[in-house]
Amino acid sequence: MSDEFLMKNGEKQMNNIAIKVENLVKKFGKGENEVTVINGADFTLKKGEFAALVAPSGAGKTTLLMMIGCVLEPTSGRIEIGGEVVYDNKWTVKDDRALRRKKLGFIFQAHYLIPFLNVEENVSLLPYENGEPEKVVKPRVKGLLDYLGVGDKLKNMPSELSGGQNQRVAIARALANNPSIILADEPTAALDTKRSVDVVKLLRKIAKEKEVTIIMVTHDDRLLPYCDKVLTIVDKKVEVKEQLEGVII
Amino acid sequence: MINLAFKDIKHSFTKFIITAISVGILLGIVIIMIGVYRGMIFDAKELVKDIKADLWVVQQDTLGPFAQTSKVHEDLKDRISYQDGVKYAEGITFQNIQMQNSYGAFKVMLVGYDPLGKIKVINPNKIIAGRALKNEHYEIVVSQKTHYKLGEKIKLGRDYYTVVGITKNTVSNGGDYLMFVSLKDAQILQFTYTNERIRSDEARGIKGDNPHLVNAVIAKLKDGYNPKIVAKNIEDATHKTVFTKGEQIKLLLQRVIKKSSKQIGMFTAILIIVSIVIIALIIYTMTLEKIKEISILKLIGISNLKIIKMIMQETLILGILAFISGNIFARLIAGKFPKRVVLELGDAWALFAVIIVASIFASVFGVYKVLKTDPSEAIGG
Ligand SMILES: Nc1ncnc2c1ncn2[C@@H]1O[C@H](COP(=O)(O)OP(=O)(O)O)[C@@H](O)[C@H]1O
Ligand SMILES: [Mg+2]
Repeated sequence: MSDEFLMKNGEKQMNNIAIKVENLVKKFGKGENEVTVINGADFTLKKGEFAALVAPSGAGKTTLLMMIGCVLEPTSGRIEIGGEVVYDNKWTVKDDRALRRKKLGFIFQAHYLIPFLNVEENVSLLPYENGEPEKVVKPRVKGLLDYLGVGDKLKNMPSELSGGQNQRVAIARALANNPSIILADEPTAALDTKRSVDVVKLLRKIAKEKEVTIIMVTHDDRLLPYCDKVLTIVDKKVEVKEQLEGVII
Repeated sequence: MINLAFKDIKHSFTKFIITAISVGILLGIVIIMIGVYRGMIFDAKELVKDIKADLWVVQQDTLGPFAQTSKVHEDLKDRISYQDGVKYAEGITFQNIQMQNSYGAFKVMLVGYDPLGKIKVINPNKIIAGRALKNEHYEIVVSQKTHYKLGEKIKLGRDYYTVVGITKNTVSNGGDYLMFVSLKDAQILQFTYTNERIRSDEARGIKGDNPHLVNAVIAKLKDGYNPKIVAKNIEDATHKTVFTKGEQIKLLLQRVIKKSSKQIGMFTAILIIVSIVIIALIIYTMTLEKIKEISILKLIGISNLKIIKMIMQETLILGILAFISGNIFARLIAGKFPKRVVLELGDAWALFAVIIVASIFASVFGVYKVLKTDPSEAIGG
């Protein structure tokens, strides 16, 4: 199939693929306790594509994101991230930690900030770890925090911020390393509607301007119009709906 | 760059400092134990070093006068002084006695020497008040720590002795205080009314109070004579055992304090092991407390190296702070110990090296935990 694809679309299109998932299966437990959560996921996301992942609680959304993020080992299948095959019935990724800190941004339901680092340090951690100089990191971090409305909290500890403020800091952290893919697991659950829409608009802007591919888990239908695609999990299979109409840009 | 260890310590500063000081007190006890051991060795040598004698002549086949009882006749000194190379020879006695004053009961080593003799038994630099003995009777020089005052009268045996001098830092080989009396007085205190005295006196036709026995004869050599050769010659001529100053010191270290120093050595080793185990436990607990943060760091893509560095640096900082507070603690309390505590810089540095190496080992458990932590633990559960 990929050969066919190559012939039809040529080299350029091939390089355009950010995430490619084939035949992905995930089972938890063994023997009698074995539970199949994902039984076949096949989809491709291009660079700059903004996809929503909508499914009932317990359907396997977090599980899917964690497999794509090389955090959770699938049972079988194949995953390609930015042209690199990271899983092919076994891990093939060389350094999953380096892949995450260089190419991925994570946003979770909870903020998961490091309690002993202040806001600025939390957000700067990955860029510094990637070897970026202070004169580049500092203004970028400040800009992100300003945009998210927490620019005045630079030196505050997470314990001094509200839940919503911390969540926005966490979003800044996910963007600070200039990732090519953002995996966002209910990023707006802790925010009010206005902030939620702002964050999704920001994510869309980043997706389009910087060609960042985003998968965002959400339960909020009002956010769907900002996405290019909607992924759902039906009967343990991942289905893709193109959302060509009604996309707000 | 962001130093995770510094940030974490800063965040829980008080707790970290209290932990470091607690470990430090433990290390302080280790330092004191080493100091006590050093003090024992120091004390063991001190008296023999202070007595300005080159040779110790003692009863044949004994390791006297400290490691073993030794008795020789006082007139031996005359024969010794005629030996080739000997400048002076004098008798000396040592006797352990119990004393009691308003400061309590204590053990004292009573040293008897000839006040008119030429060999200095009291190190003149250590006399901080009064003088050495001058008269043949009823004078006494005491260690400062006995708390006796100049001019005070002390009852020993049937007689009263007047304090004419006070010394500082004078101790017996066992670390007890010293008191010096004239040889004649000391002989009466040690040997009077013993059967031995009566027999030996009768054999020599001596009658009177003085038994004319001493525990050893000490000798000072003329310049240019080899103590070992002179000692050998005296042994051949007198059938006594002769030790050079160096041999006497070696004897004290090997025979007299070997067991007790081994005892302290064992105790110190156990304390060091306990300290290492405690440091390891603290580091492991500190790592467990951060396990959530560690899994988040792994999840967002921070390398193991960076996380392990955090654990190791915190361990080292803990070790260094504990070491510093341990030294301060040891120095504060060292003076309060009844016997000598010698805190040597070399020992402190050796312990420092041990603590640093031990800290690195101690962090192994924490590091293992870091490696084993699953990044999905951060969001799981
Ligand atoms: N570590 C695990 N062990 C066993 N079952 C798990 C584990 N993680 C998730 N599951 C199960 O997998 C299913 C999907 O979980 P999850 O991906 O968290 O769902 P969602 O994010 O869509 O709410 C759930 O039924 C959950 O109980
Ligand atoms: Mg979930």
